Formats: sequence, structure tokens, C-alpha cells
Amino acid sequence: MSILSDREIPAILSKDLSKRFGDVEALRRLTLLVPRGVTFGLLGPNGAGKTTAIRLWLGLTAPSAGTAFVLGRRIPPRDVLPRIGYMPQDVAVYTDLTVDENLALFGRLVGMGAEAIEDRTEEVLELVDIASRRHDLVSTLSGGMRRRTSLAAALLHDPDLLLLDEPTVGVDPELRAAFWTYFRDLTDRGKTVLITTHYMEEAAQCDRVALLHRGSLLAHGPPAAIKERTHTANLDDAFLALVRAAREPTP
Amino acid sequence: MNPRRIAAVARKSLSQFRHDRRTLGFVVGMPLLMVIAFGYTFGGSVHDVRTLVVNEDLGPMAARFMGNITGDTLSLTSYPDVASARAEVVAGRAWAVLSFPQNFSQQLLARNAVVDVLLDGSSPPITSAVLASLRAAAEQAFAGAGGAALSLSPDYVYGSSSTRFIDSFAPGVIALAVLMVTTIFSVIVIVREKTGGMLERLFSTPLAPVELVLGHAAALSLVAVLQSAVVLGAAILLFQIQIVGSVPLAFGILLLFAVGNQGLGIVASAASRNELQAVQFIPLVLFPSLLLTGVFYPLEAIPGGLRPLSWFVPMTYANDALHSVMLRGWGVGDVGLDLVVLAAYAGLSLLAAAVFIRRQA
Repeated sequence: MSILSDREIPAILSKDLSKRFGDVEALRRLTLLVPRGVTFGLLGPNGAGKTTAIRLWLGLTAPSAGTAFVLGRRIPPRDVLPRIGYMPQDVAVYTDLTVDENLALFGRLVGMGAEAIEDRTEEVLELVDIASRRHDLVSTLSGGMRRRTSLAAALLHDPDLLLLDEPTVGVDPELRAAFWTYFRDLTDRGKTVLITTHYMEEAAQCDRVALLHRGSLLAHGPPAAIKERTHTANLDDAFLALVRAAREPTP
Repeated sequence: MNPRRIAAVARKSLSQFRHDRRTLGFVVGMPLLMVIAFGYTFGGSVHDVRTLVVNEDLGPMAARFMGNITGDTLSLTSYPDVASARAEVVAGRAWAVLSFPQNFSQQLLARNAVVDVLLDGSSPPITSAVLASLRAAAEQAFAGAGGAALSLSPDYVYGSSSTRFIDSFAPGVIALAVLMVTTIFSVIVIVREKTGGMLERLFSTPLAPVELVLGHAAALSLVAVLQSAVVLGAAILLFQIQIVGSVPLAFGILLLFAVGNQGLGIVASAASRNELQAVQFIPLVLFPSLLLTGVFYPLEAIPGGLRPLSWFVPMTYANDALHSVMLRGWGVGDVGLDLVVLAAYAGLSLLAAAVFIRRQA
């Protein structure tokens, strides 16, 4: 048995993780390793099981079978939650609070002090480009700005693992590029950024990707390797090829 | 459990109130409106009060007196003797007994006549209507001739001369105002988090369900303090409600009741999928509290079969405690049982709320 240093512990280790909602198998035996210090893209169309996987990893829903370890803790990973930043797909900020108040709430809930909250709020709001609106009620912001507030709340405590569910929807290309630059900064500092998306061209920027389809993992690895394996020029085509292959009966 | 996280939730919750002017207006305006509405609604006139007359006067003056009792306030019935008439009042079958002594006419001429009026004083508007009606009759019958020579001597089987209807009624209405507003707020509070996806977002942090419940309860309790102060203040200032006992004790009872209602509201909220489902719990709480607890009708007036139900409605204990403190001047020890039940209600409902809200969907 080897003793791993914290940096060697995988961000996420999923073993046969399954989730059933009645007759629907939302996630089927997901076995997957997300190493530390990478941008990891969880790809697939709506209903592929991306959000279910994230909710399982956060302990927000219980698995029907299998298990997972998040930052070394078996799910539900309650004691490492302060080291995780989560941005749900729905804009999960209070619209009847100001941007500042939202960030302060989530800062307090993960145990940040008042000073740290103040310092980091300024930093992350600059990053997501809504610093000028920090004292405004979220209800007065545009949809894109609300998403950016939600992202800022996830980034506030400088977490080791970021779970971002569709973070770039409704974000203009310039800002999207800025986000990716920031994600790179984070991974350079050893942080792990897991992003779900159904934009394949965006996924191509990830260090590694996993392709999900109807709850099943079709392929995972670096984007280049997946393209090579499927003899395709982009991830879109790779995905389609993999879906076709999965449908064909095995000889 | 971390007090900082609890405080964080409480603070966030109060900020949300602060940003919503209309809600803030509701917090203050709604209880005020209820107190005023009830206060005026029950200012209506009294009629057909069953009054027994024992007339032993050998002269004509008692008959003349009664001939001048006009209007529909009193419904007069002759009775042979005072003892049996009194028994009717004790049994609640009549509100008053007028008795004229044998020498009433002589006394009146000698300018020192007394009419004994025996009253059930438990309903002050009836008491005052009876007395006013009799005074008017005396004035009319003997104007100039010796109105001042006739005096009424009231004696009370129940209640006293200084009890007004609004006084006897106020404790229940005050508790009702607090019940309504606290229930309406708390029943919305968790379902609101759920519908916006906020509950999952909150539970992606180390926040525990019990911390969430206590945070909300802490914020709502401050709102309840404000509401209780508004209701009690309005009752005292606008309607000069008598509080024989301790005002702080009355306030404490209201607050304890409010916290219990919030716990119950949070449970209902946790059990609801959306706001519409949640608000349906309101009448469910309200109607038993309105009808089974002695707020509008005395507990004794509830049909026997339904009576045990009232023991399970917390309002029964809040109403009883407030009534005893405000009208009878009872202290903490005297309303001890009510306080224990209300404290248990608050504790259990908050506990149930914490258990009901699960981290995992």
C-alpha cells in the first residue's frame, strides 16, 4: 500500500458509479479517473448523465450502485466540500440579494473570514467582469451576468476542484476566452477544473475529455487521442462515430 | 454545527427581507390590519339578551320602570324568585336578573331606590348593553321625578365591571395574527430555495440541514419579535387592551408560539415541491386554530366529540396562556403547563424540520 501525497490523490475516481431514477438509468457504471491539475471536459448531449455524475460526486444524490472518491474521500465527500467549487447548470444565486451578498454568503458557508471574502470578491468579480455591478441586486442583471455571478461564487474560495456545469453558456466569446485563460492559470497552480459542455469545439481545449451518451461512457482521454482513434478531424465527428459504433451490434 | 454558518444563513435571510419592500410592508401591515379588522368587526350592537325579572314591588314603580325599557337589547322574562333566576344565570341560560324589592316604590319616593342587577360578566359587551339599557329606562321613567334617586347595583356571577369584550377577545386575536404571519412566511422559505435550485447549491457547501433550519428560524424569529411587538402595541395603543399580568411574559408566550409555528411551516415547506403546494398548508393550520381553540368560542362551546382535537392544536395553549396572563394576571408558574407545551412544540417542530430536509435528493 502506497502513501500518496495530497497532489497525487486523484481529483475524482469513479468506480461503476450508477444512478437510476425509476426506469431511467441516468448513469450506467461510470468508471473514470480525473487526475489533479488538468482541465477535464465531461461531454455529451442533454440527458447524457453529466449533471447526474456531478451531483453524485458532490453527495447531492445517492448512487444506486458503485461508488466514487472525490479528493480522496468516498462520496458523500462532506469534509472536502470546502475544497470544491460548484457552479450548477441553473443559475444558483439569490436574485433578491446583491452580487456582493451572494458571494459573502457562499464565502461564509465554506468558512472564509471577512477579510478573505472581501479580497477575493474583488478579484473574482474582476475576472468575470461584473465588478462594476457588485452592489446591484442579481435580479437586475442579465442572464449572462447572473451566470458569471454564479461562477464567481464557485471560484471565491480558490477551491482545489472546480465542478462547473455548463459554465460558458450565455457568455460572449471574448469573455469565454478570458475564462479559459483563467482555467489554465488554475491548472498551472495544481487545481483541477471539470467542465461539462455540449460545445465540442470548446471541449477541444480541455486536457482530457470523457464522452457520455445516455448514461454510458463512450470514450475518454486527451482530445487528440480520441480523434485519432476514431479517425476524425474534430470531437463532434468523433462523438458521432462513437455513438454509431455503440449502436452497432457487437460481432 | 457551526454558529458562523448559522449566522451566515440568518444574515442572508434578513437581507432578502430588506430588499423586498412589499414583503416588509406585509410583515407589519398584515397583523395590524387583522387587529384593526377584528377590533371593529366586533364593535357591533347587542340584541335579545335574555334578562329575568323578579318583581316583588307592591307599588306601581317597577312596572313603570320596565315599561320604559325599549328597543331590542333586552328580552325580558318574569321570574318568581331570585334564587331560581340566579341559577339560570349560573347555568349560562340567562345573562342578567333584575330584582325589585317589595318596597321599591316607597324607596323611590324616598329617593333611595336600588335595583339589584345580577350579571354574567364574562361577555363585557353584553354587560354594558344591559346596564346602558337599564339606565336609559330609569332616565326615561323617572326624569325629573327622581332619576337620580334610583341606583343600579350590579353584581357579577362571572367577570367583573372592568372587563370589556375586546379585552376578553384580544389574546386570541393577537395569537392568531402571529400564527398567520409566521406560518405564511415559514411555509414559503424552504420551497423557495428548492424551486430555484438553491438548496442543492447550499448543500454543495458544508452547510448541514440543521444549520439551514436554525438559520432560517433565527431570522424568522426576529421577524416574529417585530410582529409580536406590532400586534401587542396596536392592541394596547389603539384599543386600550387590558393587560393585567406581565407584558414581557405575554410577549414571551407569543414568541415561543411563533417559533413553533415556523418549525411547522418549515416542515410543510420541506414537504412541498413548489410554492403553491406550500401555501395549501396555511388553511390546514389556520382553521383548527381558529375554531377549536377557544379564540372565538369558549372551549366549552365546542361539541363534545371534537373537544379532544383541541388538545392537539398548539393555539389552544397559546390562547390559554395569553388569556390567563392578560386577563387574570397569572404569572409564569400559573401558565407553566402551557409554556412547556409551547416550548416542546417549538423544539419538536424545528427538529422535525431539520430531519425532513435532506442533503440528498
